Amino acid sequence: MKRYDLIVVGAGPAGLSAAIEAAKCGLQVIVFDENANPGGQLFKQVHKFFGSKEHKAKIRGFRIGEQLLVEANQLGVQVVLNATVAGLFQDKEITVRINDGIYHYKGDTIIVATGASENATAFEGWTLPGVIGAGAAQTMMNLHGIVPGSKVLMLGSGNVGLVVSYQLLQVGCEVVALADAAPRVGGYGVHAAKLTRTGVPFYLSHTIIKAEGSDCVTGVTIGAVDKAWKLIPGTEKHFAVDTICVAVGLSPMAQILSAAGCSMEESQSKGGYVPVCDEYGETSIAGVFVAGDVSGVEEASSAMIEGRIAGIAVAEYLGFIDKTVLTQKTLELESALSTLRQGMFAIENRGKILEKTDEGYDVSLHLLQKGYLTEEEVMQYPGVTKQQGVHAVIECSQNIPCNPCQDACPKQCIKVGDNITSLPVIDEAAVCIGCGLCVAACSGQAIFLVDENYEDGYASITLPYEFLPLPAKGNAGWALDRSGQKVCKAEVVKVNTASAFDRTNLLTIKVPVEMAMKARFFKGGDCHA
Amino acid sequence: MSNTADTVIIGGGIIGAATAYYLALQGAKVIVLEKSDHIGNGGSSRNGGGVRQSGRDPRELPLVMYGVNNLWPKLSDELGVDVEYVQEGNLRLGKTEQHLNILRGLTERSVACGLDVKMINAKEAQEICPYLSDEIIGASWCPTDGHANPMLATLAYYRKARMLGARFITGENVLKIKKIRGHARQVITESGVYEGENIILAAGYDSRPIMATVGIDVPMTQIALEVLVTEAQPQMFGQMLGTAMADFYGHQSKHHGSFIFGGTSGFEDTNKDNGLPVTASLTAPCTCRGIMKYFPLLQDVKIVRTWSGWADIAADQIPVISHVEEVPGLIVACGFTGHGFGIAPTVGLLLSQLARGEQTVLDLTEFRYDRFKTKI
Amino acid sequence: MRKINDRSRDLGAFVPADDDQMIICRCEEITKGEIRQAVHDGMFTLTEVRRYLRTGMGLCQGQTCGKLVKGIIVRELGTAPAELEPAFSRVPMRPIEMKVFANEQEVQGDE
Repeated sequence: MKRYDLIVVGAGPAGLSAAIEAAKCGLQVIVFDENANPGGQLFKQVHKFFGSKEHKAKIRGFRIGEQLLVEANQLGVQVVLNATVAGLFQDKEITVRINDGIYHYKGDTIIVATGASENATAFEGWTLPGVIGAGAAQTMMNLHGIVPGSKVLMLGSGNVGLVVSYQLLQVGCEVVALADAAPRVGGYGVHAAKLTRTGVPFYLSHTIIKAEGSDCVTGVTIGAVDKAWKLIPGTEKHFAVDTICVAVGLSPMAQILSAAGCSMEESQSKGGYVPVCDEYGETSIAGVFVAGDVSGVEEASSAMIEGRIAGIAVAEYLGFIDKTVLTQKTLELESALSTLRQGMFAIENRGKILEKTDEGYDVSLHLLQKGYLTEEEVMQYPGVTKQQGVHAVIECSQNIPCNPCQDACPKQCIKVGDNITSLPVIDEAAVCIGCGLCVAACSGQAIFLVDENYEDGYASITLPYEFLPLPAKGNAGWALDRSGQKVCKAEVVKVNTASAFDRTNLLTIKVPVEMAMKARFFKGGDCHA
Repeated sequence: MSNTADTVIIGGGIIGAATAYYLALQGAKVIVLEKSDHIGNGGSSRNGGGVRQSGRDPRELPLVMYGVNNLWPKLSDELGVDVEYVQEGNLRLGKTEQHLNILRGLTERSVACGLDVKMINAKEAQEICPYLSDEIIGASWCPTDGHANPMLATLAYYRKARMLGARFITGENVLKIKKIRGHARQVITESGVYEGENIILAAGYDSRPIMATVGIDVPMTQIALEVLVTEAQPQMFGQMLGTAMADFYGHQSKHHGSFIFGGTSGFEDTNKDNGLPVTASLTAPCTCRGIMKYFPLLQDVKIVRTWSGWADIAADQIPVISHVEEVPGLIVACGFTGHGFGIAPTVGLLLSQLARGEQTVLDLTEFRYDRFKTKI
Repeated sequence: MRKINDRSRDLGAFVPADDDQMIICRCEEITKGEIRQAVHDGMFTLTEVRRYLRTGMGLCQGQTCGKLVKGIIVRELGTAPAELEPAFSRVPMRPIEMKVFANEQEVQGDE
């Protein structure tokens, strides 16, 4: 029987991170993953991550996946893809299906990092072809290069719904609307804002009444719900769509552990049925650990840290390192983990309605209900200042652990500070040189360069632009405001695609000066090249 | 709600549920106590669904034949739930002369008890079931055998018994049976006390520690047996299948199209578990190899689930279904040795008759609790 | 200690609803009405409903419908989600062809 020091089930962010840490301590590690590509959900995340440098902030998800795989390979970790672990048996034995055969392996320790799966929601017509999970749509687009449909309704305003909606736009789909039965946007305000400014309308407190069609989806009707989730008659809205994307949460895929007799618990905040485990991730089965979404749905950044903690813990469990090293290494990691778990979206704040940011600014209810900040609201935040000449305007209004903007600015114009959930502050004493690095670095695409002195009567707005075809200098079109409405004519005066921006192109448009704090997106005109 | 009944039944499997039904049908007040959270969570839901007369111990034959002739055919109508009973015969297959000798022995024994079973050749077997491997050289054939859905049969009995007023309580862990002035009357659980004129103990292997509290034992062991089920397939055949060497047994569900197969690795006596019936890593692959030797065209069918259940194996391979005279009021039904499903309706009826002091439709001498004799 | 669950408690009559025809378990095509009726037939747990109706027995083994079925049972019983025992998961984690499952191979490489 082939025995490893550590078997990892799942080559996602948690699994690979665990394998890396264990291998660094000298363990012989093998990782199995049922997919053809490693990186778990990372391989289809094309957006930039939040957090800080240690959390791989501002790096696109799929690159993080690539980095992890390279590091794992360099450390001698065996990663076996297209390998489905069929089950976990007594004595920490697993069977794995590889090609047409089944193989037995045993681990001195096992780390299960199988992640989570998408939830479903039932409504009339939900079984029609064309109703798909948002994650499935993302896999189709970003992994297989298939456009899921042409006209999409997105159900769900959590980060998955928001991020995937944006990616649907990027591949050329029309997102006709985003709906959520909840009264407030569940994901980050900046993810919502980058959608609304392109013209996607948000319908909070709306649910799907029915999906229409006989062989496939041809339309959808949504309607408003009251506080008791009851439909309000007369509020029906119909959209012609061929696709309905459902983003209604994830559930841990812990079946392999429950089948093995692991102690489990039902936890709503963790997303469902999860294994009971200690702070290192060890379950009720000695030597079997968990890390990542399988132990509680969060995101990739926390999955990576949990993976590292588990990897180090198994090293100590097997005597490769001693307890003092374990404690010391995990202390730093626990601290990084708790940083991520702070702010407005922390687990303890779930379900709460926060009215003020940590600093005392008003949390925008409009952002939460409509998906964008109003012009009046925007002015109050410390990232928004009125200055002569070009300066960054940071429309960041929620406490989220994130600080790439601070590190990006070569002139120290932007301050977040030690507590990375703090709202970024513009230092008016510092002089902005208009390099645009902050605009490109902001994973929330919430930073704009505004110059109200661009020309007589005109301001320039430099905005992040991640769509193809890229407009060209001289193109005429429309400026859209935060709500996606056309506010004025605009002309493209500069397009910057420096490699340092990592595909977040910088589009500079010229608008009438009174539009400087309104214009936030560009749409090509009827006769653009 | 009162905790007193005419009969308290310990064990919410098919035996307990069927007995509760037959009692409730007669107007008796019944309470059924089940330790787990689910009705039918033991062998009742985990077995392979065979309603089989052939290959049985001759002592059991009258029970299963009574069921096949009187109870199974009308059970779905009677209970109001389709228990998926199909009576299309049982083919027990052989590939070698040695296999055929084993089958002949089994056949002769059953014929002597009046069962309609006979040996057939390869051609006849192929006519009955055209999907067999070419390597099969003969089979035993019992046209009146069949199969049903054990989960539905159990839950159908439960549903109807409940409708007739039987009280089922899950999550009730029985700690002991208590004699009151010489008569077994009380069932003490973790939460309280239930009382009945008689107590029927039908809790599989768990019956043993419970009966020990009134000084009774049935010699049994417990082993885990595994079953697997495939995805739905177009209908191929309705017969029950088995082999001379017991490589596997099973059938295709007519109602659903999936195949259900049980099989053994040979290590059942020594397999370890974690306190729950778990599957072993070696068993399902072995069962699959066994199946493919006889049904090669099933090779691409996908297995969606495997599971394990405990069988309470009586020392002489047949159950105890018996009054326990030295503990007046106690009736024991356990040790079904992995073939309790086919006889369950009959046993339920018999137990209801025992509980009501009626003459049983069949003689139960062979199933007495005190029948176990030493070898010399 | 397990939760005592008296199956004789009165759930009230089964009241037909407008969405009873909606499919909940896609793999086995079980409707909401069937699940609700099953509860009234005495099936108070996810496992009993599963064994009675086949919800969760298809190719996805309940990964899609599990939470939906649970919600319907909970509402029909008038109980809290935490009161319901979760369903059992079993090997194999993904459907596997018989010939593959049968094909036990030795791991290559130095042992």
